Amino acid sequence: MKPHNIQFSLNGEKVALSVEPSDVLLDVLRGRLGIKSPKVGCDRGDCGTCTVLMNGKTIRSCLALAVEADGAEIVTLEGANSRKWTQKLQKTFHAKNAFQCGFCAPGVILSATELLEKNPKPTSHDIKEAIAGNLCRCTGYEPIVEAIAETAKGK
Amino acid sequence: MDLQKLITKPKKSAKSKKAGEELTVVGQSVPRIDGWEKIKGAARYTDDLEFGPGLLYAALVESPFAHARIKSIDISKAEKLHGVVKVVTGGNFTQKFGLYMNDRYVFATDTVRFVGEQVAAVVATDPKIALRGAGLVKVEYEELPAVMDAVKALEKDSPLVHPDLKSYTHVPWFFPKPGTNIAHWRKIRKGDLAKGFKDADLVMEDTYTVPRYAHCAIEPHSAIGLFDASGRLTMWTSSQSPFTQRHVFAETLKSFGLSHKDVRVISTYIGGGFGGKAGVTMEIIAAALAIAVPGRPVKLLWSRAQEFYNTYQRLGCTAKIKMGVSKAGKITALDFKLHWDSGAYVEYGANVVNAAGLSASGPYKVDNLSIDSMCTYTNLPPCGAYRGFGYSEFLFGLESHITRMAKELGIDPVEFRMKNAIKEGDILPYGAHMNPTGIRDAIERVRKEIRWGVKEKSKDPKKAIGKAQVCFWKSPAMPPNASSSAFLKFNEDGSINILVSGMEIGQGLLTVMAQIASEVLSVPVSKIRVETPDTDRNPYEWQTVGSHVTWGCGNAVKRAALEARERILDLVQRVHCLDKSTLYLEDQHVKCRTKPDFALRFSDFVINGIQADDHTFKGGPIMGSGVFMPEFASAISDPETGQGGHPNVHYTTGSAGIILEVDRETGKMKIKKVALAVDCGKAINPDLVRGQIVGGLLQGFATVLYEDMRYNEKGRLLNPNFSDYKIPTVMDMPDQVVPIIIEVAQPDGPFGARGVGEHTMIPCAPLIANAVEDALGVRIKSMPVTKEKVALAVMAQGKR
Amino acid sequence: MPITTEFEYLKPKDMDEALHVFSLYREKARALAGGTDLVVHLKENLSRPEVVVDIKALQELSGLTLKEGTLRLGALTTFSELIDSPVIKSKFPLLWEASLTVASTGVRNRATVAGNICSAVPSADSAPVLAVYDAEVMTRSLKGERRVPIGEWFTGPKKTALLPDEIVTAIELKLPEKKHAGCYMKLSRYEGEDLAQGGIAVLAFSDNTYRVAACALGPVPARCPKTEAVLGGNKLGDKLLAKAGDTILQEVSPISDIRSSKEYRLHMTRIMLGRALEMAVARLFGKGPKYGTENIC
Repeated sequence: MKPHNIQFSLNGEKVALSVEPSDVLLDVLRGRLGIKSPKVGCDRGDCGTCTVLMNGKTIRSCLALAVEADGAEIVTLEGANSRKWTQKLQKTFHAKNAFQCGFCAPGVILSATELLEKNPKPTSHDIKEAIAGNLCRCTGYEPIVEAIAETAKGK
Repeated sequence: MDLQKLITKPKKSAKSKKAGEELTVVGQSVPRIDGWEKIKGAARYTDDLEFGPGLLYAALVESPFAHARIKSIDISKAEKLHGVVKVVTGGNFTQKFGLYMNDRYVFATDTVRFVGEQVAAVVATDPKIALRGAGLVKVEYEELPAVMDAVKALEKDSPLVHPDLKSYTHVPWFFPKPGTNIAHWRKIRKGDLAKGFKDADLVMEDTYTVPRYAHCAIEPHSAIGLFDASGRLTMWTSSQSPFTQRHVFAETLKSFGLSHKDVRVISTYIGGGFGGKAGVTMEIIAAALAIAVPGRPVKLLWSRAQEFYNTYQRLGCTAKIKMGVSKAGKITALDFKLHWDSGAYVEYGANVVNAAGLSASGPYKVDNLSIDSMCTYTNLPPCGAYRGFGYSEFLFGLESHITRMAKELGIDPVEFRMKNAIKEGDILPYGAHMNPTGIRDAIERVRKEIRWGVKEKSKDPKKAIGKAQVCFWKSPAMPPNASSSAFLKFNEDGSINILVSGMEIGQGLLTVMAQIASEVLSVPVSKIRVETPDTDRNPYEWQTVGSHVTWGCGNAVKRAALEARERILDLVQRVHCLDKSTLYLEDQHVKCRTKPDFALRFSDFVINGIQADDHTFKGGPIMGSGVFMPEFASAISDPETGQGGHPNVHYTTGSAGIILEVDRETGKMKIKKVALAVDCGKAINPDLVRGQIVGGLLQGFATVLYEDMRYNEKGRLLNPNFSDYKIPTVMDMPDQVVPIIIEVAQPDGPFGARGVGEHTMIPCAPLIANAVEDALGVRIKSMPVTKEKVALAVMAQGKR
Repeated sequence: MPITTEFEYLKPKDMDEALHVFSLYREKARALAGGTDLVVHLKENLSRPEVVVDIKALQELSGLTLKEGTLRLGALTTFSELIDSPVIKSKFPLLWEASLTVASTGVRNRATVAGNICSAVPSADSAPVLAVYDAEVMTRSLKGERRVPIGEWFTGPKKTALLPDEIVTAIELKLPEKKHAGCYMKLSRYEGEDLAQGGIAVLAFSDNTYRVAACALGPVPARCPKTEAVLGGNKLGDKLLAKAGDTILQEVSPISDIRSSKEYRLHMTRIMLGRALEMAVARLFGKGPKYGTENIC
């Protein structure tokens, strides 16, 4: 099959590589570009651990072909670490011991960042809706929701 | 949300601080020491590790049948595929392995015993090629009759899953019955059952069923193996049990020249374990494949589907209870028969059966007791450790039955529990004595929290509100010699590295270990690192299971810290001629009660020693090591009565209550409030205890309300994905969760602590079943208690 | 999990190019928009196309416009775009409500309504909503354009009227002229994202007429004309709801599967119809729960 040369912005840096049409974006990020924060969790877009920002929106990178990233702007948690809302969220998550095993954390943080960048005054329902696609087996979600709410309130 | 604490005076313990010395770190909700790593996305899990361009990938060939003889395997086409390096079958690895019983194979040899069992593996340079190669392996099977039901498996003409059961080696406290599908039969006979039933004013019998469940840790299993030119096997695994894994690898593969020292297991962070990453499952395959391709690292990463059908599942259980209760509300007799579906291989599952069998009477004083806990083979996926280890399964029936009987006798179900609740010193099912317990405080606090006794009405006329309260307990289920150890060393700047092989599975182990060391050595938690396991460098830990590492590994860390402290004090005494009994540690300094201006900073001497007046140096690097192994536990008991041993080190107890709103028409259930009080002896980090309560409750409720494994009649799992096996999302949170910490000290625990982890899941099922009955008058005796079941039960009741 | 099947990838710059590919490859070509269905199928070997055609560069497939009472949803319109659109929220709140029940944010940011109706699973949440709005599906091939009424779109489970050389270009709905309100009731196993085990979409009009459609309760999502006839012209009341409940059971044919049983689905069909109607009528009078709340059964 004809390989495709693609170029895209990854966490602010230009990346160029050759991919096969059947290469999945998540696998290319993790396997060839050293990006480890998006995870392999369920293969089907059900768990949210593969979440990355593509052109500003959270997507399931396990359900995107690598070729679709051509010309796009991809941001993972490695790159989002410098964003204002991400940093505020991270401070609160840390203080509240909001995560346990941490496997869902990158996906949750990106989803929460997307929420607060779009809607800095979310209701409790808005917060839950934003992370409803991020599965967490450890925490029972309560400290995560509380942390996002506190971050939004600016505590 | 505030945590509510009821702190009772801890009993005198050699480990507690002198009177007047307050704890400064233990008992504080310090931020997790692994917090930033995980929050910044820097934490590395097994699949994140890099092995360079030489890494090989493996894919499996799996059995489509539940029970079949393998007639032939043709790997020729797969071998020829460009990029395939090696194809491996059961013929290459005929060794058996297992944790408590050696009944399992690396690859099926002549017989497959469950749908999905590994038959062969293809190792290739690329994951796609490995998968394509696996598709090219041709296996011919002769299908055999299969048995999918634990009760049917006991029938005389049932297919035998393990005809060679007689030849299997196993731990001495298991009692398999060769010639049958019974892999283990734990019996408890205590008191006089017949008399107990005679003395009862009410005797009630019923059956409760609990199906299998899946752990669904968000991180799938993964393992990488490298068998290098020096004959050393290094495994990187996502494991709760690196040392136990090392042992299994070394034992199973010793014909390849391996000794324990040559096997190294490295486990970094785990994305959730819940028991599913305990023991050995797919990792043995990776180890075998590593040996098959010497000099090259090979990775095996489980898909989500394989997570469902080829890792441990939670055992299914059919529980027959017959209980006798007196008018006064005392349990006079309990006959409990537990039939466990443990799947095709029970090397771990049999211990769940054992553990449940020892404790199925629950946290109650039961003088006349008979328990039969039977581990049965079936042609379904193997079962093993799952948070709760059999206790959730028996508690569903037990606590449902207790509420029913109390109601039948006109006794308040919570008062009934208070009356029968076990006390310290009471005799346990197997003859030993109960440890200190705050269960009465727990019952009282929860009762108040859910306003027990006050009937509530829903604002919505279509809905009804029901309440329930139950008790729970659990002991770690371990071999009697399960041990923990720790190394502790100071660095030049007075910071500390602690090496343990307890696993950080999310529970916060690393942080709690740091807090313990911090308390002893007065070094702030921010200056302490606790390293994840590497069996070469970190000392031995049996497994991180059973909610026991706060106790076991915590004791080891405390001993290591105390040893380091002793060395410091000895050294200062020696060099500065100050009596050791006057010295103490504070704020990273050695100070002296009789010489207030003496303050020796750690960083001045913990590596370099103390310089004496004659310019020589005394001492050297300060280190400590600690080992903890319970020396009072014994698993040997009478096979017919279960009496005589002391298999369980101690129990953690508690109570939980619920206010449940149920829609009469749709059956939909909403948890308005749940309160759970657990006696953890001493909450070393209350935030982390809260984390276990909130997280465990949600996981527990999910097993009751909507997790639902479906097999077809041929033993194939039909919903091996999150689209159709539903685990909770944030939308499914209860409206309100009230965690309550009770602290009745565990005398042999670090600062009085005993473990909490599994316990918070255990009460969930009977809470829902009892609350549904309270709300709607329907009794559901099989799990899951889905809204569909509730609605149809209400309808059926209406038709009567 | 990697994709083991091999295929070519094309991203046509214009419609003509795209249509030529579909004309040439027909069933062997699959359109890729959000990929949230297609990529799963590729991973699980349920779809083995020779060529995957990425349609995201085709400008005429994007856009969401309400013009002279006709809502045009370009084929690339995602569920997130629907939810974020003030036009949809205010003028087509039923579509807004149903969109919120589809998967989760990360999936909705990519998944398209057109893709939803092309995958045509019987539980497609957008389907009964489009049905009560009498939507039309616009398709195009080299041969020209077609307008397929939504009632003729679903021909069987995962089967549609889309021809092998066609792609969907847009979906059009007419904004009903009479005052109306709606409700999408969805049967799920819990509160989180789920494929509907049953879905009832209802529009209630100020002249006591109603439109009712169901999904996941038969081989295809469809309107329930008998039920509409029983309801039509009458004010809601217990007797009418009971009669409508009896009638709708004749128009649905749910099965038992791993998600739910036939018995429960039938039981819930009646209940969901009643609750959806009551909620729609309440909303008609400015009362009732806000759209997007209390519609998960």
